[in-house]
Amino acid sequence: MKKIYIFLTTTCLLIFSACTGNFEEANINPYQISDKSLQQDFNHVGAFFPSMLSNLFGNQVNHNLVNDSFVRHLGTPTPFVGGINNTTYYIRWNGYWDRIYNNIMAPGRQVIQIAEEGGYDVFVAWAKLIQILGIARLTAYHGPVIYSNYGSSETTILYDSEEQLYTQFFDELDEILAVFNANLDYTGMANFDASFDGDVSSWIKVANSMRLRLAMRLSKVDPEWAKEEGEKAISDAGGLILTNDENFNISLYGAFFHPAQICFQWNDTRMSATMESVLIGYNDNRISAFFDPATDNTLYPDHPDSPYKGIRNGALLVAKDDRLTYSTISSDFENWTERPYFRAAETQFLLAEAALRGWAGTQSAQYHYEEGVRTSFSEWGAGGVDEYLMDDTSLPLDYDDPKAEGAVNDFVNRIMVTVMWDEADDNETKLEKIMTQKWISGYMNSIETWVDHRRTDYPKLPFNYKNDSNADWGVIAADDFLRRMPFTTNERTGNPDGVSDATSKLGGPDEIGTRLWWDTGGSNF
Amino acid sequence: MKKGLIISLIFFVACSQALLAQDLIKGKVTSSEDNEPLPGVSIVVQGTNKGTTTDLDGNFSVQATSEDVLQFSYIGYLKQSITVGTQTTIDVSLEPDAQQLDEVVVTALGIERDEKALSYAQQTISADDIRTARDVNFVNSLAGKAAGVSIQKSSSGTGGSTKIVLRGNKSLSGDSQPLFVIDGIPMANNKGGQPGMWGGNDEGDGLSQINPDDIESISILRGANAAALYGSQGANGVVLITTKKGKEGKAVVTFNTGVTFENVMAKPQLQFDYGSVGGAKESWSYEKGDYADNYVDDFFQTGVNAINTITISGGNDKTTAYFSYGNTSSKGIIPENTYQKNNFTLKQSTKMANNKLTISSSIMLMQEEVENRPPAGYYLNPLTGLYFFPRDRDFESFKNNYEVFDETRNMNLQNWFVSDHHQSNPYWLINKQPRTDATKRVIASIPIKYEFNDKLSVQVRGNYDYADKLNEQKFYAGGNATNVGANGRWSYHKYNDELVYGDAIITYNNTFGDISLNGVAGTSYQQSTYGDGISVDTETNSLLYPNEFFFQNLPTNVQVQSTYTSKLIKEAVFLNATLGFKEVVYLDFSGRNDWASTLAGTGNDSYFYPAVGLTGIISDMVVLPDFISFAKVRASYSEVGNEVPFNRISPQHTINSGGGVDRNTERPFTNLKPEMIRSVEVGTNWRFLNGRVGLDFTYYNLNSQDQFIRLPAPSGSGYSYYYVNAGEVVNKGVEITLETTPLTSQDAEWKSTFNFSRNVNEIVELHPDLSDKIYLSDSEGFQSVIEAGGSFNDIYVYKFQRDDQGRIILDSSTGTPLKTAEPEYIGNLNPKFSLGWTNGVSYKNFGLNFLIYANIGGKVVSQTEAMLDGYGVSKRSGDARDAGGVTINAVQDDVAVTSIDPRSYYTTIGDRNGIKEPYVYDRTNIRLTQFSLSYNFNTTALNIPVKAASISFVGQNLFFFYKKAPFDPELAMSTSTDFQSLDNFNLPSTRTFGFNLKLTL
Repeated sequence: MKKIYIFLTTTCLLIFSACTGNFEEANINPYQISDKSLQQDFNHVGAFFPSMLSNLFGNQVNHNLVNDSFVRHLGTPTPFVGGINNTTYYIRWNGYWDRIYNNIMAPGRQVIQIAEEGGYDVFVAWAKLIQILGIARLTAYHGPVIYSNYGSSETTILYDSEEQLYTQFFDELDEILAVFNANLDYTGMANFDASFDGDVSSWIKVANSMRLRLAMRLSKVDPEWAKEEGEKAISDAGGLILTNDENFNISLYGAFFHPAQICFQWNDTRMSATMESVLIGYNDNRISAFFDPATDNTLYPDHPDSPYKGIRNGALLVAKDDRLTYSTISSDFENWTERPYFRAAETQFLLAEAALRGWAGTQSAQYHYEEGVRTSFSEWGAGGVDEYLMDDTSLPLDYDDPKAEGAVNDFVNRIMVTVMWDEADDNETKLEKIMTQKWISGYMNSIETWVDHRRTDYPKLPFNYKNDSNADWGVIAADDFLRRMPFTTNERTGNPDGVSDATSKLGGPDEIGTRLWWDTGGSNF
Repeated sequence: MKKGLIISLIFFVACSQALLAQDLIKGKVTSSEDNEPLPGVSIVVQGTNKGTTTDLDGNFSVQATSEDVLQFSYIGYLKQSITVGTQTTIDVSLEPDAQQLDEVVVTALGIERDEKALSYAQQTISADDIRTARDVNFVNSLAGKAAGVSIQKSSSGTGGSTKIVLRGNKSLSGDSQPLFVIDGIPMANNKGGQPGMWGGNDEGDGLSQINPDDIESISILRGANAAALYGSQGANGVVLITTKKGKEGKAVVTFNTGVTFENVMAKPQLQFDYGSVGGAKESWSYEKGDYADNYVDDFFQTGVNAINTITISGGNDKTTAYFSYGNTSSKGIIPENTYQKNNFTLKQSTKMANNKLTISSSIMLMQEEVENRPPAGYYLNPLTGLYFFPRDRDFESFKNNYEVFDETRNMNLQNWFVSDHHQSNPYWLINKQPRTDATKRVIASIPIKYEFNDKLSVQVRGNYDYADKLNEQKFYAGGNATNVGANGRWSYHKYNDELVYGDAIITYNNTFGDISLNGVAGTSYQQSTYGDGISVDTETNSLLYPNEFFFQNLPTNVQVQSTYTSKLIKEAVFLNATLGFKEVVYLDFSGRNDWASTLAGTGNDSYFYPAVGLTGIISDMVVLPDFISFAKVRASYSEVGNEVPFNRISPQHTINSGGGVDRNTERPFTNLKPEMIRSVEVGTNWRFLNGRVGLDFTYYNLNSQDQFIRLPAPSGSGYSYYYVNAGEVVNKGVEITLETTPLTSQDAEWKSTFNFSRNVNEIVELHPDLSDKIYLSDSEGFQSVIEAGGSFNDIYVYKFQRDDQGRIILDSSTGTPLKTAEPEYIGNLNPKFSLGWTNGVSYKNFGLNFLIYANIGGKVVSQTEAMLDGYGVSKRSGDARDAGGVTINAVQDDVAVTSIDPRSYYTTIGDRNGIKEPYVYDRTNIRLTQFSLSYNFNTTALNIPVKAASISFVGQNLFFFYKKAPFDPELAMSTSTDFQSLDNFNLPSTRTFGFNLKLTL
């Protein structure tokens, strides 16, 4: 009998050791795609770019209830989490960090490695550029972030100081441009590049424009360095994004334009009170491209001919339903197929400020200011720009919230500059005009507008009506704005030494009131 | 029934060769109970391997000498030994064995064993017990009938899934569900999606399709010890289902027909006196009005379940066959919710080659279809709009006109008073969002057994379990804009679950003097592929043309996906042997080696684990006082590896809906190991007073280590997630079963059984890198977590801020209660202990059966109540307005406050993110789970042409003796591990009652 057992056991062992050969294949999902398969048509280096590019933009709790609210572009009717949330300066959502690391840095690192191994230099450069596009946004939220140590296997992963970050950005832009310039006829990106069909020279313009944008962030904290990098960007033979044809828009790859989803499907966002105040006050014709009229005509007795109504940011909200009849964003956004990352109007306003700061290579500040406004009007298909630029009387309006009693949510306009350029104005006033127009033109791409506002304190936006900031995340004074997003909870618990080092690099407590490196406070000049 | 069970379990010994110089002894064996002949009684000539069995009429003949002793044994009856002497005719009347100590039970792999030799706890539930309450899903009938078994049925109505956990949650990543086995062969039980806080539907599981009338008995192997022979998948315990087989004899036809009615038993308490102000969606007026109060009750209807089964069974000594057809047809308590099930079962078994070879086959065909299974959670749930509806508005107009013609679109759209993501017109939802969950399934098996002699046999089995499943919902244009596109939405998921199983088992039983050996050695192969299919969901991406639900109408930006849940190939060799010494001491050991495809490439894909057990029959070792009729002690130790999930070693990349590729950014887990559960179990069985009192006590300690845990990777690490083998979870507890027969007489009998179980779960450690908790659920201020030092399903919610006198602190400006900064621990979901009390009383032709089931301790949370308070529609909020305020022990700026305005109080503590402390309830509940009163007709006296007929009144979940929560805490929103213990607009619990008629022709 024992013999039978031994025979059986031996047989089984033999059979199984032979049979486990298909195990690895069995443990693979057949409806996923392998590295090997991706080598066809060079998808192993290219196919990840659409996903990385898409993830430069966050969702409702990354942008709409964060920077879109902080810069007063869009307001929410919804009293999320009992009305105490990011929009009232109590942090509930802080998720852009994870999006950037999980969806851009992590795949980007792998793509760079594969492209380096295969000798696809342009793809390496392209992936690095996209990582800069992402990290440059993320540092505008938090200050120090993880960049040079990314991919470390250490338990503690150190953050880069902002100065280190910008140094690395500029160095990498040099390398990226060198690769692009050496491969101007390269067509390998075409299959993967919905923005420019793989046109390398267009990406050179993106890189140069990014350099100018980043240089301007440093204009107060390190004017010399800013000027050096800014002039380098302006003078580069590859050029800047200067016309709307050259705008860097990122395809939605078939997805719904997210702000339209937030607005029309979820009813969670509306025109901001500040947009109402500024656009109606200035008689700005872009208003109808930005927003749809309010659906309740009793809401705007103070300007009956302009049927728009916005919601104050940081408002006291009781019920979501109260303000759903306020102006939505334009329903045209439901048909958008791409989303702006860098537009010509921004370059023009950057050049206008560069001119004010005496950087070489620009036209006059007035030229670029007016060109910025014209470019923006043309981008939105709005007429009457000549009249608009000649208006030296109109000012933004005071705001009344018809759904709140008395003075609740109301504000008095603080913007005291008109649209028309006056060469006789001092630089501070000129800068305020530039920044106010740059603020309008930054609609639907508000991260850099948020940087500009913190850096220059322009435009003179209304403060929060409802300010729930407290010791948990840091206190914001009633006459101040939120200055940054705190480091994430996961990092605070999972990488505590890294966060503590980062906090020292930040130069202040890890709170929402701590100013970033380039947000120096003082005078703009 | 008992007899039927016994027949089907018996291990037929067929040795009828005549031997030399012996007389032919004939006789008849009958039951002393009713003098009916007993077929299949085993007759063995002691000291030899000669023997026979009785035929259908109880007759036998055997060759024996005058000195031989014939031993008559029959399951459920006391053994009798008779010396032949001069007799040539021996008629025997066997006495029923009330103690049933020598009951043969089915253990792992379908192996039959003497119960007394088992070194672990096993509890068997008979068909009668399962069928008493006529639940459509047999699993639900197990609640309370066995110790150590936790069963929660889904709140999704008839045919919903079930959560069943034996001896506590053991796995941090899996759902700790036991393995289900039909006639020794594992069955597929792939659970579909489950609802959560925000909505969703129960997509069923693999259990509800089984026809309860096909079940002969169910054995529950609670411990890993018992399950060692099933390997990894048995690590969480095994539920063994034995189905009916054909019986020798004339064809027996049974009809079973039952109708039960179902109605709501635990619905939230609402107010209908106060309406809304200024068109708000909340009802926060302080002016009483005269408003309709019947529309909530009217929404629910009486559900009806009709179950009809016919079975035909028969055969001869060579061949037996069994056929059954079952039809279940139900109507839910929500309009338009229906359930249909058709079951065909055909089994046959043929003996050939001198009865040495038995070829059997079994085919089960099942078809199940649920229409409009009710959802749970906020979204697209008819109950939200129904409960929230402002009291001053006219519900009837919305009920009768749930759709209205829209001139701008030239079509009918939804009619509701508000555009809000949480609510829609309830009648729109049940009429214009038809949902189908359908399963077509076949389970086919062929066991072939060859008995070389009565010691050695070999069995080879093959089984194929295939299910074709569909989850489809059509959302018409006009649905809630948060969830449905302007032209409607189509959600479609069609997939297959497939399980191929084969094994070969050699069984060897022999005795060597005082030593007995029961040995089993075998090998098995199993391949399961779950969720292989196609899926599409347009969500809010609008269909091209309104209200057409097929692929051509999909917008271009919607991805049609091939789906694949998992594939697992398992190969194993195993050995199990029980050595008995004088039938007094048994040593049991087993070993198994598994090869699992989910561990391929790690070097850990082959793993071995052993089990050992020791049993001693004390009552046979020493002389015990007379009142002790039996005593046994047992102990066992086992290790079982728990396999890891599919596709974790080297996941590939996914094509996203934008046409790009998302790179996998999870760190490959190349040194993944199987989870390991080490289990110690000790127990003892005692029977007193000739078996009228029986006690079974078990203590167990299960230690689960090397848990498979997914952790978010550090942001700077280059990965998004990574996996570790870490953690230690301990479940220890006791299980006590007390069986009593307080009354037994000629005409009457009362049997009463208590099942007690207590499980203590402790999360000893997680992973050192995991500084935070593992969140099973985290939504709306409700958290269910796993945390080192805590236990599975610890509940965290926001509480009131209180001063050191315990007074609630009110905000100095608004005067409303302040909540804690973070959710705080408030209790654990799991009950402290559970108690089932089963009673069976028979008097002449009447039978009474009832089961009282209690879960004591534990916490549950109602988000429903929080929302109803926030909306001012709870009865509580109305009573507070009647009383002019809410009594409160609070303090505002050092001033004591005793009363607070109802609106500011309830809108602060209630609604979505309020203070959940008041909405956490004690889970303790005691209920009459099952009740039946039956009458057996005396068909001979009545002179009707049927063999047996019985009619019974049955009831299920009839009422609570005690319940604190405003809902049924045993009804689960989700039967997976998340959102346990939560009520968020779950379908209310129901009580069921009806009649059942059974005829045997």
